[in-house]
Amino acid sequence: MSATIHLTLKVWRQKNASSEGRWVLYEAKNISTDMSFLEMLDAVNERLVLKGEDPIAFDHDCREGICGMCSLVINGQAHGPQKAATTCQIYMRDFKDGATVTVEPFRARAFPVLKDLVVDRSAFDRVMAAGGYISVNTGSAVEANTILIPKDKAEAAMDAAACIGCGACVAACPNASAMLFVSAKISHFALLPQGLPERERRVLAMRKAMDAEGFGNCSNEAECEAVCPKEIKLNHIARLNREFLRASILKK
Amino acid sequence: MIEFARSSIGKKVLVALAGLFLCLFLVTHLAGNLFLLVGENAFNHYAEALEKNPLLIVAEFGLAALFLIHILVSLQVKYEDRRARPIGYLQQKSKGGSSWGSRTMIFSGLLLLVFLVVHIKTFKFGDAGEGLFRLVVTAFQNKFYVAFYVLAMSALGLHLSHGFQSAFQTLGVEHPGYTPWIKKAGCFFSALIAGGFALLPLWAYFNLGGH
Repeated sequence: MSATIHLTLKVWRQKNASSEGRWVLYEAKNISTDMSFLEMLDAVNERLVLKGEDPIAFDHDCREGICGMCSLVINGQAHGPQKAATTCQIYMRDFKDGATVTVEPFRARAFPVLKDLVVDRSAFDRVMAAGGYISVNTGSAVEANTILIPKDKAEAAMDAAACIGCGACVAACPNASAMLFVSAKISHFALLPQGLPERERRVLAMRKAMDAEGFGNCSNEAECEAVCPKEIKLNHIARLNREFLRASILKK
Repeated sequence: MIEFARSSIGKKVLVALAGLFLCLFLVTHLAGNLFLLVGENAFNHYAEALEKNPLLIVAEFGLAALFLIHILVSLQVKYEDRRARPIGYLQQKSKGGSSWGSRTMIFSGLLLLVFLVVHIKTFKFGDAGEGLFRLVVTAFQNKFYVAFYVLAMSALGLHLSHGFQSAFQTLGVEHPGYTPWIKKAGCFFSALIAGGFALLPLWAYFNLGGH
């Protein structure tokens, strides 16, 4: 049995990157508790469009928790109240009838607001471009078992590679640090033999790119780990620190 | 080297290393202070022996350098962190990652800085004509001073409860087997140090003051 609830939304509205934003209240009436959070926003937007108003802009794509496109800070929590879930996987049954729900964009200097709840996360792309890859020759794929990889290593690398780059770690970090994201990418290569040829160069370049984007510094508070929809663990940050120390010492 | 010290991770490594060395200092300082409990002669004898040692001045400069690195780099890091989020959230709610200690590092740290100034002024540059023991015991007859000490030591415990284990994480010392033990050791260490240092003014106030 699905119930219907009425909510008041307190939403950050901002016309474009250079304009000043403001808080606007919206009534979200007759919301089915089976709706996802984004479907609820769709419903609110449909009514706004019918009234001739500008709909609330928010990022979304796959709506099944794997693309990393949705964002939002809901009632002070990145990706809403659930653990190990993205905003698109949040359902309205998590909200009480009559409640006021605050919806904010991810906040960080490196993630400027483009419009309403949409932020520019291309800083992550630039960090990736600095070293988040391996160099291989194109052509036919090599035989899969040419380089043997222990199962535990493959699994640990896969855990790190589960990062979808949504940026919730930055949003939840008291310092707006991107260390969890960068560490996941560093881990995923550092654990595999294919990542080793560019090991030092990669961590030095990605650290530099990360700092250049204006992210804050890690203070090991673990809020990133707590909000990560893919449950990326803090031990990757320790590995990033280790890799960076090692590369800095070995650097010629 | 300069690039390392100016990098985000490098700065945290400096703070962590200085912090861990300061933890070692806390152990020796507390061990020495426990001579107070042995008696006036034992404590004064210990204090004199320390002051006569020509290496003391070297150690003091080293200690001052550790404090300066730890404090100045931390403040710079904090300043950068503030700049990294120019527009804050209307609402921010933890999902359970951070701790009381981790959230209050800057406040406990600043309180300890104030404490450090007061502490050095009273005991390093105080009048110890009748021996350091008298100076210490006399200072701890003021209940506000004792309360300030206990408060500062509580802040120290809070600071260490996050700082100790966080330093190891920053240095990349992490392992599924021993990280839980580092965290436990951090809790134990912070309680021991804070409790030990807070005990002395309380002991002096209640035991030696004739209250």
